[in-house]
Amino acid sequence: MNRQPTSAFWVLTLLGLAVLIPMASLLAVGRLPGFEPGDLQFWHSSYIRRVLFFSFWQAFLSTLISLGLALLVARSIAFRGNFPLRNLLLKLFGLPLVVPSIVAVMGVVSVYGAEGWIPLGRSLYGLNGILIAHVFFNLPLAVRLLLPVWQSLPDHYWQLAEQLRFTPWQRWVHIEWPAIRENLPGVSLLVFMLCLTSFAVVLTLGGGPKSSTLEVAIYQSLRFDFDPTQAVILALLQLSLCLVVAVIGLSLQKLPEVEITISASNYAWHNKNRLFHNLVILLAAIFVGLPLLAMILDAIRGPVIEVISDNKLWQATAYTLMIGLSAAFCSVLAGWFLLRSSSVFANRGQINKAKWIELAGSVVYVVPPLVLGTGYFVLLAPHVDVFDWVFPIVILINAMMGLPFVIKVLSPAMRKNQMRYQNLCCSLALQGWHKFRWIDWPLLRRPIGLAAALVSAMAMGDLGVIALFGSVDTTTLPLMLYQQLGAYRIPQAAVSAVFLLLMCLLVFWSLERGLGGKDYVKN
Amino acid sequence: MLKIEQLSFSYHQQQEPEMLFELTAVPGEILSIIGPSGCGKSTLLNLIAGFLPAQSGHISIDNEFVEKLSPAERPLTMVFQQHNLFPHLDLYTNVALGINPSLKLTSKQKDEVSDALKKLGLSGLEKRKPGQLSGGQRQRVALARALVRHHKVLLLDEPFAALGPALRQELIELLKSLVQQKSMIALLVSHQPDDALQASGRTAFIHQGRVSAIDETFKLLNNSKNKAIRNYLGSL
Repeated sequence: MNRQPTSAFWVLTLLGLAVLIPMASLLAVGRLPGFEPGDLQFWHSSYIRRVLFFSFWQAFLSTLISLGLALLVARSIAFRGNFPLRNLLLKLFGLPLVVPSIVAVMGVVSVYGAEGWIPLGRSLYGLNGILIAHVFFNLPLAVRLLLPVWQSLPDHYWQLAEQLRFTPWQRWVHIEWPAIRENLPGVSLLVFMLCLTSFAVVLTLGGGPKSSTLEVAIYQSLRFDFDPTQAVILALLQLSLCLVVAVIGLSLQKLPEVEITISASNYAWHNKNRLFHNLVILLAAIFVGLPLLAMILDAIRGPVIEVISDNKLWQATAYTLMIGLSAAFCSVLAGWFLLRSSSVFANRGQINKAKWIELAGSVVYVVPPLVLGTGYFVLLAPHVDVFDWVFPIVILINAMMGLPFVIKVLSPAMRKNQMRYQNLCCSLALQGWHKFRWIDWPLLRRPIGLAAALVSAMAMGDLGVIALFGSVDTTTLPLMLYQQLGAYRIPQAAVSAVFLLLMCLLVFWSLERGLGGKDYVKN
Repeated sequence: MLKIEQLSFSYHQQQEPEMLFELTAVPGEILSIIGPSGCGKSTLLNLIAGFLPAQSGHISIDNEFVEKLSPAERPLTMVFQQHNLFPHLDLYTNVALGINPSLKLTSKQKDEVSDALKKLGLSGLEKRKPGQLSGGQRQRVALARALVRHHKVLLLDEPFAALGPALRQELIELLKSLVQQKSMIALLVSHQPDDALQASGRTAFIHQGRVSAIDETFKLLNNSKNKAIRNYLGSL
């Protein structure tokens, strides 16, 4: 028992190498062919200035709108207590974690595109479209993060408010706002970061240089302008931005705990303004549900046979599945060994050590995938044909992207197991394989299944690194969908989008159920 | 015989050890250990079990020194206040784990598990999961597992704290008969002076990391000269 838990050391060393080596090759920008010292003075380039401004501006507006609406919606859901279809609504709001962003874009086009139900015409492409798509993703996420704040308010507060005859405004000022205020910086920063590093949405709905973000500009420099120097400078800019945002975030407060289960607390007895709350909930459900519904209807009426009889679709499906499952496997394995150490430290009371290990595992929060991808690109390009390396790189980066989620999902369960059963296992000489088989696996398979399901769905839907490294022979479903959208083959794209969505949900469901097991042991 | 000699431990680095224990217990005896919270009762058990590393001193069981051994190698079994059982395994398996962690049992060992369960009044419940049992039954299972391990020393860390008075008395009687039958040595950490009185001929009072008094239970509880005991009991 006095052995130092070292497994995290090895994971963090590998992770550190996988991040630092490509970052070092970014910093060696001076050695790239065609580099001129003047290139570093990015503020002289009006293009980069514009991209920089737009990155910030769209992220700021997306965050503002998502959070403003999320406060309203979360409050209405909390106040309406247990209404019919509540669980279904919360499941719908959980979908954006699993829905690939390119599929969501397709849904937005189905509703607001030229042929859609609420046609916005050309003005969809640009800031409007980007904002709609970002709010589609982040409004539900923010609602799920903020809802527990209301649910954590003790019922006595409301009884007290009733007794003191608080007006709704007084209730908000004295009861709700103080609790919300603590959580707001964390949630805003998370949403801001997601919008700042968003790729697929801006790539497809952004309109040329006028509404391009750093993330997309990196991709265009590498794939279209063949200008690695510019790509590297943009990547370094993006990296510094993310670092600044992360440092501000850490100094303000911790990142919010991603609430995976939603408990249904009941406030039904202070049911005032029922009509208003119902309306808010209905509008939010329509806003989130409509794109999915429209897309599915488009797909049913679309050229289904043509699309699914195409060999390329099945080839892409095979690659997509391989990437998703491999990334999930690597990510869960790394997370497991990382948490084995951190939970031992936590159990010994060395909370800070445990925290730092888990924070280090979440390093990709600050190094966006395209920045990493650019690093690998300039690192490998002089020596090998990078397009031959597409799968290892895509799997590696996606596994790293998934690691923070694995840590979030697995950490509480592993710490609890360690705390409750470590001494008992020690005294029974339960260790190694026997301990895994009889104790760890049965007690942890549920969170392991959920973690694997999340990572694989996210990796399958990723259009970022694959866009950087993919080619005609190595196309995944999201990349194929992007190509169809780019060629304005919208009916085909709708079918592919629904196909990809179904694949993601199928894999998510089978991993969650298959690995997680059916019955759940309450302990 | 269980012998603790100059066993020292500190949570923080310092010259004078925070805790220093000296103690002996003989076969067939349940030695109760009482004292205010934070005095080091549980630390003492964790040191003996090997969950905490002692800085110096010796622990011997029947003249064999065990302080260098890992927790699994020490011939003793510990029963905790809660979480003694794995919630996903049935009673039979929970007890069987005490014999062999790989769960490959000979037919003789299987009989032994059934016997132990029978002895503790749990026959017929083999297939139940811990969640379907009462708190008292769960602690009986933990005792059954301790039995099949055939270890000389039994460490009990407030095992009955969560139970009502009647159940506590019943389990203490059961424990007494088991310890005498198998001539085990038991250390029983307890919060209740009544438990000590019922369970033990002798009781140790721990204060600030030291065994401040050890005596016949009745005498110890009525020792009006020891101020720490008076303060702890709040009597006299």
